Amino acid sequence: MNLSPSSPRWLYLAIQRRRNRGLNGLYLVVAAFLIVYAILFPGLLSIGGFSKFSQNWFPLALVTMAQALLMLNGGISLAIGPLVSLGAVVAAISMGGPAGAFGGFVAVVVAGLVIGALTGLIVAYMRLPAIIVTLAGSFIITGVALLLLPRPGGYIPDWLSQALAGHQPTAFALLVVILIAWKLFLATPTGIGLYAVGDNPVGAFRSGVPVERIRVVSFAISGLLTALAGLFVAAQTGSGDPVIGTSFTLNSMAGAVLGGVGFLGGKGTMRGAIAGSLLLSVMINVMFFLGFPPVAQYVAQGVIIVGAVAIPVFASRWRKA
Amino acid sequence: MSRIASNLHLGRTLLASAAVALFSLTVACEANAAATCIKGDRKAPYTVGWANIYSVPTWMKQTEGTIADEVATLKKQGLVKDLMITDAQGNAQTQIQQIQSMVDANIDAIIVEAGSSTALNRVIADACAKGIAVVNFDSLVDTDKLTAKINTDSNEWGGAAAKWLVAQLNGKGKIVVMNGPAGVSVSDDRRKGAQPVLAANPGIEVITETNTEYNVAPAQEAITSLLFAHPDIDGVLSLGGALSAGSVMAFDRQGRAQVPTTGENARQFLELWKAKKLKGWATMQPNWLGALSVYAAVKALQGQDVPAFIKVPLPVIDDTSIDSYLAKAKDFPADGYIYSPYDQALFDKLLAQH
Repeated sequence: MNLSPSSPRWLYLAIQRRRNRGLNGLYLVVAAFLIVYAILFPGLLSIGGFSKFSQNWFPLALVTMAQALLMLNGGISLAIGPLVSLGAVVAAISMGGPAGAFGGFVAVVVAGLVIGALTGLIVAYMRLPAIIVTLAGSFIITGVALLLLPRPGGYIPDWLSQALAGHQPTAFALLVVILIAWKLFLATPTGIGLYAVGDNPVGAFRSGVPVERIRVVSFAISGLLTALAGLFVAAQTGSGDPVIGTSFTLNSMAGAVLGGVGFLGGKGTMRGAIAGSLLLSVMINVMFFLGFPPVAQYVAQGVIIVGAVAIPVFASRWRKA
Repeated sequence: MSRIASNLHLGRTLLASAAVALFSLTVACEANAAATCIKGDRKAPYTVGWANIYSVPTWMKQTEGTIADEVATLKKQGLVKDLMITDAQGNAQTQIQQIQSMVDANIDAIIVEAGSSTALNRVIADACAKGIAVVNFDSLVDTDKLTAKINTDSNEWGGAAAKWLVAQLNGKGKIVVMNGPAGVSVSDDRRKGAQPVLAANPGIEVITETNTEYNVAPAQEAITSLLFAHPDIDGVLSLGGALSAGSVMAFDRQGRAQVPTTGENARQFLELWKAKKLKGWATMQPNWLGALSVYAAVKALQGQDVPAFIKVPLPVIDDTSIDSYLAKAKDFPADGYIYSPYDQALFDKLLAQH
């Protein structure tokens, strides 16, 4: 392998190293939490225990990816939670119909892609701020979800619940597949453009990157991931609930920011975002097994989040000094 | 059948043998009559978990108090070892995760205040399959794979309040209906319960209805603006405690004479009721539903057959009993609920119903 400073491979590794640097602290914190969790609950290392844990983490991982994807190109979405709810509702009302489970899956995919793309079109071509468009979108989507299914209910075939959220790590396998797909996507011109548009839209435009189109594509993919998270939640719970997703909006942002994704675009990595969401999820279980009372859990949660963000900052200062 | 009836002797023999069969069946049932989920392999002292959806509201804090008290009592009897409490911070997804952790920790009983009527179904069924006693109260789930559900009847709540108000007004007058938030099942169910009573009394005219959060300030605001528009309001059918307090304060601020008002056991309302000498009526969602849930779970674990649904009758506060409630007001938070007294005898009686 040619690793001289002028080779593309060397450049790639150097960039990756620089991107990882700020995240080593987070990785250490996540690893520490996972080890503590495994000590407190050895069942985590069994297939069943690992499956259940990864199932509870999976939807958060998906929406964090969806949010990070937008933040990387300078966007943001306040409609993540409502879109998760809508995905769950669409799945729960369509799977009992004539189209069956597959038809329901297609409906969810279409809903996610269309809503995402529409949002992207408005943001990219009408030049409206994403935060306003998605805020408005969140009300509309919540309303639609409530119209489709006013009270929790609907139908999800049991075999689907068992397949996605049974006693085998399907969810984790899906996450790995999605991460590989993301890696492949980044190698395409659109994927490279994603970072470029977020980092320096004018520069990207002058270099011939189709800025608007990339924004639309990123919103569409983000919408797809979010709606699929909704489908998974519906399968996991065996039903649709029109407000189940609400807290995912804030948690998706928390996961992405914890993972080092910047609000201004072009900064951050998907692996960081995934690690951020994993920390948010494992933290809940560790606090339970440590027997924290609820009030202490609120405080601990805040301390852990601030700590996980602060450690890398202090670490880099210490390195410079 | 007619042939058997014609032959008296044969009929008697058959009856007798049927009775014997029935009796032995009952005995057999009682010998291993266990509540749902219970396998009988868990021994005291038990570890109890309370999976709460949101611990911040005053009602929840008071409910947590009754649970902690009950656990302390059962600890003394050597029946309970530990209480673990989780707070899902309003997120049903987190609640699934926390109940899963309780299952992973293999605790003996899980008390659930649900954040969604459907989302917890599968994790609760998982817990039940592991022989964990699962008791759900107040905000209910729609699965039946659990030990018991405990609640009052919201329809009855609305019906009883409406009946009292109609009687106060002698079946004639203009009233305002105060509801909780739209689209919330408790608020819907209370209103639905009041409807047949109002429909049966055409002399009662509902001028208008309000939908607000179960808080004093928004309720007071809503009634204040109604008072400007309507010079003649004869009664207030309030379907929530803090709502009534807001209404009474709005009447008071505008110097209007108080009218008959229904409500809940919110301390603020009860104190205003007495201070403003109004005609009042109140019921409650007793906080000790939490304590009862713990008690029911432990009884089920000990092998007692616990009914799948335990309907708790609504305690009523009226002019004859309000003084007994206000006498203990200082033991309750200023924005809290003064609940009716409870003891083991009451719990045993409630568990014995079938």
